[in-house]
Amino acid sequence: MPAVLINRVLGVTGRILTLLLTVGITLIGLVALTFCIGRVVPIDPVLSVVGQKASEEVYQRVFLEMGLDKPLWQQFIAYAGKLLQGDFGTSFVTNRPVLLDLSGFFPATLELATLGLLAGTLIGVPAGVAAAYWHDRWPDYVIRFVGLIGYSVPIFWLGLVGLFVFYSRLDWVSGPGQIDVFYQGIVKSVTGSLLIDSLLSGEWEVFGNALSHIVLPAALLGYYSLAYISRMTRSMMLDQLSREYVLTARLKGATEYRAVMLHALRNAAIPLVTVIALSYGGLLEGSVLVETVFAWPGIGNYIASSLFRADINAVLGGTVLVGAVFILLNMISDVVYQMLDPRSNLRRR
Amino acid sequence: MRAKKLINGVALVLALAAGQALAETPKNTLVVADAIDDIITLDPGEVSEVGGVLAANQIYQPLLTAATDGSSKIIGVLAESWTASPDGKSHTFKMRPGLKFASGNPVTARDAEYSLRRVVQMKSRSAFILTQFGFTPENVKDRIKATDDMTLVIEIGDTYAPSFLYYCLSSYVGGIVDSKLVQEHELNGDFGNAWLKAENSAGSGPYVLTRWEPKQSIMLTRNPNYTGETGGLERIFLQHIPESATQRLLLEKGDIDIANKLGPDDFGAIEKNPDVGFVDGRSGTIYYMGLNVRNEFLAKPKVVQALKYLVDYQGIADTISRGTVEVHQTLVPKGFLGEIDYNPYKLDIEKAKALLGEAGISGELTLDTVVWNTPPYTDFAQAVQATMAQAGIKLNLEVVDGQQWLERYRSSNLDIWLGLWGPDYPDPHSNAKAFAVNKQDAPDGSAGLADRFGWNAGSLSQDAMAAVREQDTDKRRATYETLQKAHTDTSPFVYMFQQVRKVGVRSSVKGVVLGQTFADDRYWNVTK
Repeated sequence: MPAVLINRVLGVTGRILTLLLTVGITLIGLVALTFCIGRVVPIDPVLSVVGQKASEEVYQRVFLEMGLDKPLWQQFIAYAGKLLQGDFGTSFVTNRPVLLDLSGFFPATLELATLGLLAGTLIGVPAGVAAAYWHDRWPDYVIRFVGLIGYSVPIFWLGLVGLFVFYSRLDWVSGPGQIDVFYQGIVKSVTGSLLIDSLLSGEWEVFGNALSHIVLPAALLGYYSLAYISRMTRSMMLDQLSREYVLTARLKGATEYRAVMLHALRNAAIPLVTVIALSYGGLLEGSVLVETVFAWPGIGNYIASSLFRADINAVLGGTVLVGAVFILLNMISDVVYQMLDPRSNLRRR
Repeated sequence: MRAKKLINGVALVLALAAGQALAETPKNTLVVADAIDDIITLDPGEVSEVGGVLAANQIYQPLLTAATDGSSKIIGVLAESWTASPDGKSHTFKMRPGLKFASGNPVTARDAEYSLRRVVQMKSRSAFILTQFGFTPENVKDRIKATDDMTLVIEIGDTYAPSFLYYCLSSYVGGIVDSKLVQEHELNGDFGNAWLKAENSAGSGPYVLTRWEPKQSIMLTRNPNYTGETGGLERIFLQHIPESATQRLLLEKGDIDIANKLGPDDFGAIEKNPDVGFVDGRSGTIYYMGLNVRNEFLAKPKVVQALKYLVDYQGIADTISRGTVEVHQTLVPKGFLGEIDYNPYKLDIEKAKALLGEAGISGELTLDTVVWNTPPYTDFAQAVQATMAQAGIKLNLEVVDGQQWLERYRSSNLDIWLGLWGPDYPDPHSNAKAFAVNKQDAPDGSAGLADRFGWNAGSLSQDAMAAVREQDTDKRRATYETLQKAHTDTSPFVYMFQQVRKVGVRSSVKGVVLGQTFADDRYWNVTK
């Protein structure tokens, strides 16, 4: 291995260790903060278990069962201790381990967000490049206008309109839900993702049905992220295209394609990694409304309904999970950034 | 080669996907859309959420049930006949012979004994329906007894109207479980509670639980040992679809058969669709405002009276609710024993102003009103706020989530609470006890709504307890009639509406029966 490469790998390892430390501290902060918010909000988790008609005796029994009589710090230490052992506590509502609940809901969200991001990236990046290339001409206006709508129109409304047009009127896609009733339970859950599981088991019909269900919500999320990604791509490309090296390349006789796609885009791609990674995190947490409209059994739905039911453990668990994914994505994008752009390493030395 | 295979596969998939979009629900499955994320348990001994009761009702059978035709008749289900001793304290039930649980075990009086004792011994949150008859974990072994396989004897602590006991046994806690099966799964003396909470069921009803994914769906499959009448559908699938507009689209397309949570906006939109119809039913749910008489102004009867004249009852029912409520101003819901047609209040600003003047209120009066942040409560609250303002009453609307909403009234930390009350069993006592009986008169010493809002119902409290002890049904009815009028005239409860249920169904779906109490819907005779 050449010395330069070894150096770079060592540098990257060091960075990763620092990152891991940062991640650990951030996670502890996240848990502490969400825990505090969860316990100081003026809602009574006991009520969600006992209902409005139960007697005082039942109320008191459940109150003690939940350990709510103990001081806040004791509750936190007990909670954090369990978290370290991978125990997110029990959901007051479903009465199952929160981790089990999350493992059931998270893959559906991951599936939806991944497809959404794929769509958003595959269309958003070229659109952004085109808008920058034909700066202030009609393609630019069209792309910016389309992006603006995706950015400013409430996503649940777009969802309902989409359902009305493509599901109810045109019959192009299946309706809300992850799969039709008669395909429920055919495929054994391996990864938790219906698309992957049905492919693995060779159930083409199930796969097709699942695909026809996910197309619309994923397209919608994709549109949402496309708006952001194309805007960022456009401004980064504008920045690169005005640089001298692009001019030099052009003067040296590089084709337009070469100048734009190979020179400018390659440099713009580095900060774009962060943009895309962050919008992935955004899609994971921001899918609450889409999941509600499309009756999608994902984590957004889970956290939202847990919140309405004052199911604190479930809310905490969900928040910690989403937070951890966010931090992880950030970390990965940081590392990729380092690897793509050696200058960021040099600057640190 | 591989690439070609893949392309072929994708093409096939796309073709299938396009085809599936046109599919309908399977012929042998009833697909119901509802908001079921509130379900904590499907154990009949403790279930009490709307979605949970709905599912449990298809799985478990009680000894008795109430007719749904408004006749308030009591019909035997697992019990074939029943008799009461002259003092009304001892009740003997003869079991219907030849019935089996889904497991194949015979249904006996021993199962009934176990199931009813179990509710009391578990001290579950819905145990109050049974413990109001004086059962405690200590005495229940002597009070609820199977004398042989076919005979169950229930001794209650006090003299009560027999129909009161029967209605309570017909409610969701009265579901009888397969004692053999449940006892096999008991864990640390939990009466099989953990097992019944985990996707298992042990009933004799038309369906058994096959899958329950909390907050997602419930799958019920036909019980092969069920010998009662059915429409013959193999499965019932309850799917969590909380959004009304989404339910509407699915119903119109035929992807669901029943839409349980349609809002008024969506009714109008599908009225003209020939593929879709409605099943109307009356629910026992009452919308009301509770005025906390601990507030010095609300303690004045004239102020309470004035507020009752400051609600545009008919206007709200016609414009905001559009057929989902009817004006109802007494504590007993229509369809229950003792119901009366008594709606003395309508919007009358002048009268209200005069009453406020007589109460010595001059200038503006500000009252904090706690409102649940979901429709229709927020809409009701805004309408009431507007009419009250015309008489100088300023309502501060505190719009909060469901938990806070319950907590505020539980802790009596409010002036006005806008909410609902649904009876737990189809007997007028369910509501009379809540709204008119004070803690000191309640046999189990539990505080009802009257206490929560700081109101002493005076002699009405004793009257209500006398009514539930009355053995003569006609006399009992007459007591409720008198009591209700006095209660509507003097209590700090502004009764507004009784809920009218409207459930969207596909035209092909026949045989849906809506129950009288909440979630007592019966799906087993459905055909499609």
